[in-house]
Amino acid sequence: MSTKSVARRLRLPSIGGPPPIAGVARKADRRLGYALVAPAVLLLLLVTGFPLVYNLWNSFHNVILSNAGAPQNFVGIQNYTELFTTPGFVQALARTLGFMVVSVVLETIAGLALALMLHRAFRGRGMLRAAILIPWAVPTVVSALLWTTMFDPRSGFVDYLLGILHLPGSQTTWLAGEWTAWAAVIVADAWKNVPFIAIILLAGLQLIPGDVYEAARIDGASTWQSFRRMTLPLLRPALMVALVFRTLQAFLVFDIIYIMTGGGPGSTTETLSYLNWQAFLVDTNFGYGGAISISLVVVSLVIAGGIVLVMRPRT
Amino acid sequence: MTRWRARGSGPSSVVALGVVTLVAMTAIGEALASAPVSAAGKQTITFAESGLGSEGAQTQKAITGFEKANPSIKVNILVLSPNSTTYLQQLEQRFIAGDSSPDVMESDVTYPAKFGKAGWVKELDSYKPNLKQFFPTEVAAGQYKGKTYAIPWFDNPEGLFYRTDLIKTPPKTPAEVVSDAQAAMTADPALKEGIAFEGAKYEGAITAFATVEGAFGGKLNPADLNTKGNRAALTWLYDALYVNKIAPQAVTGWMEGNVESEFQAGNAAFAINYPFVESSVAAVAGPAKGHVGYIPFPANPGGTPGSALGGEMLAINAKTTHAAAAYKLIQYLTSSKVETARAIATGDPPSLPAAYTSTLLKAAPYFKQVETLNKYAQPRPVNPNYLQISSDLQTMLSSVFSNLSKPAAALAQAAPLVKADAAGTGSGGG
Repeated sequence: MSTKSVARRLRLPSIGGPPPIAGVARKADRRLGYALVAPAVLLLLLVTGFPLVYNLWNSFHNVILSNAGAPQNFVGIQNYTELFTTPGFVQALARTLGFMVVSVVLETIAGLALALMLHRAFRGRGMLRAAILIPWAVPTVVSALLWTTMFDPRSGFVDYLLGILHLPGSQTTWLAGEWTAWAAVIVADAWKNVPFIAIILLAGLQLIPGDVYEAARIDGASTWQSFRRMTLPLLRPALMVALVFRTLQAFLVFDIIYIMTGGGPGSTTETLSYLNWQAFLVDTNFGYGGAISISLVVVSLVIAGGIVLVMRPRT
Repeated sequence: MTRWRARGSGPSSVVALGVVTLVAMTAIGEALASAPVSAAGKQTITFAESGLGSEGAQTQKAITGFEKANPSIKVNILVLSPNSTTYLQQLEQRFIAGDSSPDVMESDVTYPAKFGKAGWVKELDSYKPNLKQFFPTEVAAGQYKGKTYAIPWFDNPEGLFYRTDLIKTPPKTPAEVVSDAQAAMTADPALKEGIAFEGAKYEGAITAFATVEGAFGGKLNPADLNTKGNRAALTWLYDALYVNKIAPQAVTGWMEGNVESEFQAGNAAFAINYPFVESSVAAVAGPAKGHVGYIPFPANPGGTPGSALGGEMLAINAKTTHAAAAYKLIQYLTSSKVETARAIATGDPPSLPAAYTSTLLKAAPYFKQVETLNKYAQPRPVNPNYLQISSDLQTMLSSVFSNLSKPAAALAQAAPLVKADAAGTGSGGG
């Protein structure tokens, strides 16, 4: 028997280890910690873990809830095979990724520009900072309806504005064409989400010490050099947070599509989440819907992981 | 810390407390849900409907009358979404959860086959309903495999409205609709379009197409969609937009409410819509007021005058424990007196031919035209997979109305999908 184990048995203070009273207290603290987080963990398991496991189970079974009496038998990877051999799914995946890249790039550039503007000192800055959050606070369904009205070819503001400015497109039925419908959706999406990116980046900008810029200025750095060599690298953590959130939101886009285009014209604006809604709530096919959901989760994790990998601060 | 532990509130106790709370809440919820019979023997049933505005008010009025006639039954009205797709989802979520509420519900004419197959609604033949008193096409919409799952409540035949001040003689062929629309647009510069119809990607686009197709000898037959008649009907609608230019591309965003507004505001010479347009035009001062004609879509040689069957039915939840009370409510709501009162107040056409009495026609003369349209009204496919069929048709029509596909190509592409979905072998099981 070693000296340490003898000491432990005799409850003697061990050499170099923590005093026993501190150890007991730490153990008790740990238990209290577990108890305190338990409700939150339980809640998360209920609202996130359970649906995930339930979807995973469904995705390997034949579960069509409107087909009374049909056995919910194990079908292996049939739902997944069907998914990736259905042209509709593959096309929706390509559309969703396209929308995600275009909207996130545009929104990030606009959000960064807005954040840089709001970071400067000017009269009424506080009020403007609060005001830009209004679009973000508007529920997506409301903003989508608002933009549907704005893009109305008869009474909408967009065609009217283009008309009085003598710009092309003033006679456009925006939601009737594939690319014009996407343009309208991206504009509506940007209106709502640019403020979100701007506020996160603004918080990041405020964490950059002013004397860094001062030193750069003394060293003769131009505004562009300061931005390129200091602002952007130091903004990386905030940019990563904004990109992870916005990219995943864009990848899972549903409500704005559902309201503005209904997936049309034809099926040209149907995204993966739209197909998922259709599988679950129109077809009540929980097996196929579960396979779409699990695919969405996997791709989301890959996207989030990829962004973190690329954007993580390097030491 | 010690005192906290001494009380035995370890993590397992927290879990136990949570579980007990959940069980208690569920038990209270169940108790509340399953206690509709009061000590005085009064039963409480829930009636789900989608009606807002005058329809909602009229339902409330009818329910009050029912409760007065049946003092032992109290009816709670559950108002769900006015959007038919959302309404269906709200109902389905309750069915899937095994909820016994609502006990009785309004159902679109396209739902009963699905509800019946899924076992969500009660088969009603055991109550020996007098089905012969209703319009037969709507009775058929409530049946699946020879069994009745829903009773007709009101019957909404979609047809062609026209401005009698601009078009003196109603058109007799589809070609005359085009020439009349073009002539009206030339004569009246205030007109923004010759014809307005539902072209948005939703169920209404299908009923607009179904209104036109019969006139060309077409039919919404899932087993054989790509027919000469259907191609001709779809081509007529496509040409209205892109060849004859009597309809604007804006129709791609229009639902029946938009079409109603266009006709009411005097922007359109023709409109494909439901009978409620008659009462809504009469209610507002405008160029169309007092100048409304309503006819089936005029037929080409070989076709029949076109009209699509819309309407609402009443069904009983299979899980209800108050089926007898629920059926009593259905009998009351579908009685001639109550249907007539609803028709006068809301414009919802009765499902009973016997309700088209002189009282009704005196109060609202346009019901004479509605009665005529009812003779031609064709149902959409009565199939438990109708929602999937509808989704295919909506995509097809949206492609054509947006000029992404030509009618023949779109029909050829949609036909096998519709056929597979009708048979339950389509993509995604549906």
